[in-house]
Amino acid sequence: MTAVLRHPRLGLGQRIDDGTGGRAVVRPAARSAVALAVFGFFATLLALAAFQSVVVSGQFEFDRLQRRLEDGRDRSQLLRAEVARLESPGRILEVAGGRLGLVSPPTRLYLPSVVPGDPLTILLPPVGDPFSRTYR
Amino acid sequence: MSRQPVGPAALGRGAATVEQHRETHRRFRRRAVFGGLMLAVVAGMFGWRLASLQLLEPERFVAHGEAQRIKTLRLRAGRGAIVDRNGVDLVLSVPGQSMIANPRRVEDPVRAARALAQVLGADPEVLERRISSDKSFVYLGRQVDLEVAEAILALEISGVYAQEEWERIRPGGDSALSILGRTDIDSIGISGIELVYDGPLSGTDGERKFEMGMRGASIPGGEYSVEPACNGRTLVLTLDRALQFEAERLLLERVEAVGAKGGVLVAMHPATGEILVSATVRRSADGVVRISSEHLAVTWTYEPGSIIKPLTVSAILDRAVAAPDTVREVPPRLKVHDATFSDSPFHETVELTLADIIRRSSNVGTILWAQDLGAEALHEQLREFGLGSVTDLDFPGEASGILHPAGRWSGTSLPTIAIGQGVSTTPLQMLVAYSALANGGVRPAPTLVLGTRDDDGVFEPRRPGPSLSVLPAAVAAEVVGMMEQVVASGTGTRAQVSGYRVAGKTGTAWKVLPAGGYGSKGNRSYVASFAGFLPAEAPRLAVIVVVDEPSGEVYSGGRVAAPVFAEFARFAVRQLRIPSADERVEADREGRVMALTPARHAILREAAEASRLEQSGELVAASATSG
Repeated sequence: MTAVLRHPRLGLGQRIDDGTGGRAVVRPAARSAVALAVFGFFATLLALAAFQSVVVSGQFEFDRLQRRLEDGRDRSQLLRAEVARLESPGRILEVAGGRLGLVSPPTRLYLPSVVPGDPLTILLPPVGDPFSRTYR
Repeated sequence: MSRQPVGPAALGRGAATVEQHRETHRRFRRRAVFGGLMLAVVAGMFGWRLASLQLLEPERFVAHGEAQRIKTLRLRAGRGAIVDRNGVDLVLSVPGQSMIANPRRVEDPVRAARALAQVLGADPEVLERRISSDKSFVYLGRQVDLEVAEAILALEISGVYAQEEWERIRPGGDSALSILGRTDIDSIGISGIELVYDGPLSGTDGERKFEMGMRGASIPGGEYSVEPACNGRTLVLTLDRALQFEAERLLLERVEAVGAKGGVLVAMHPATGEILVSATVRRSADGVVRISSEHLAVTWTYEPGSIIKPLTVSAILDRAVAAPDTVREVPPRLKVHDATFSDSPFHETVELTLADIIRRSSNVGTILWAQDLGAEALHEQLREFGLGSVTDLDFPGEASGILHPAGRWSGTSLPTIAIGQGVSTTPLQMLVAYSALANGGVRPAPTLVLGTRDDDGVFEPRRPGPSLSVLPAAVAAEVVGMMEQVVASGTGTRAQVSGYRVAGKTGTAWKVLPAGGYGSKGNRSYVASFAGFLPAEAPRLAVIVVVDEPSGEVYSGGRVAAPVFAEFARFAVRQLRIPSADERVEADREGRVMALTPARHAILREAAEASRLEQSGELVAASATSG
């Protein structure tokens, strides 16, 4: 029969004399620590890679939003110009006389100049330019 | 004696081996030394190169490296918009596309030019010359339509690209063109307001720097900096778009109807000098009357004629030469030096008060009183009204008119200048003078700009120009009273506006012919005008209408210009919400029914309905149910 020689459980850093001239033998606990360190190293690498991936995708998203913002501003400005064109008296008169076939009356009837409830003060220019292109 | 062998043989076999090893060792050492030296030389060369790169001329290589990976994007500052007093866009910039090419990258210039010419509608030979050049950048088309740009990009021609550019547009077409002016294709102001306020409108470009990776994408965490572009400021004008359009429409109709060369209408708030309208129309060489790009209200000078008489009378009253009810005998004709002046229509010698003289626009009566006044006093008063010098408008090309010093006047200067001949003014100068009368003798500084606004909406008002007191308020009120009579029962009855007291004066001036002189009856040219303001008791709107060379039988200011004034004023009092005398009296009356526009009526009805529902609790219940 072959007897299995087992070392008694040792603490971390403890050494035993195994009859090989006093050479130290690393216990399993130390091996675990090394394994843990290696695992930790790779886990950190993985975490860094994941973080980098998040940063990269965030940058792409930032760039995409930036482009969308620019496109949106351009579109808004075009729409602003289109609204101004559609509201211009010249175009309204043109459509009224052309497409709708309306004619000017021989005499004009003007409505009262002051309507109760209406502010008598002139409207102030709109504040805030939503079409600002400051940041592009 | 035995002889010993010499050399390796003498040493035996072991000695030969040792010698061989020594030789090998020496050879190895030589090679090692040589190799080491070579390595040292190579290392030295690398070291030298490294030192030269890092220490001796690092800037060039740093710049080279940055050029490869750092991309700098120019952020073009948008040119500010120009809006009217109500915030309506008159001019603004929109993103446009320009087509550009790098000829070095165009593979087949001939084929590319033909394909591009079809889409761009350009000459293929011109395009071929451009894209066959040895330049690295050429324009194929500036500020093309979006559809055109997309069509060109769809052709997928190598070396042809689209570049974003700002395009300046006027949504209202040519309306107010003479004031707004133009920019060149690079959005730099070249005329009108665009030129005067080019600085505030232009803004400052910015830039964005970032580290660029593959396919132009930015590198996360790399170098990144943004210096934002500072957009141009929005310019808020004193103009009212609706009034401007109406004025142009009326002028176009009138000038066409009376066969005139052109016309000018300027409207102003007399107290502040804010110009609400400045419309100019001209008959082109093809005979069609169009909105002019020249701001004739300030660049064109003419002899104003009888509309100068209230200014002459102001001086007469101010110097206490006469009072409004002072009576004087006025003959039908008056000879001064070598000139004879007469009234139209003809009358026998009559007794007229000073007020009657203005009401009937009597030349002879005005000259008689002006002679009593004297040249110096008349000149001084006209100067104080602003004649003969540019206004505070600060508009390019503004004319000062001609008003010679009294010392240089001839024998006929006094009578002619007193009735508006022999002196030249711009329409704006006359309107400013009338505004002074309307404003209690205080001459306002005319302005076209209320102020500027930045991107955040912060409004910075323009500092108003200095107002000058040119006449006592009491004298101004007396003159206004006389001018009211002109409209009520004098030459300007066609300028009446129902519900409003109007003060004004007509003018039918002789025009100097190209050959000199005024011509004789039948071949004269006229400038018909009317200047006035309302409500006379508290003026809020001053208007001048000038029609240049009306042809045919109708040419007087009272028949040509006054109706335009009245029609414009009827529209303007609604737009500016100037209440009539009746509206002011009865505005607070209980149960008064007022006419409303359909849109306004709908808004009020909905508001009333919402209020009723809220009071009855139905609205709250409905909200709770839907929620």
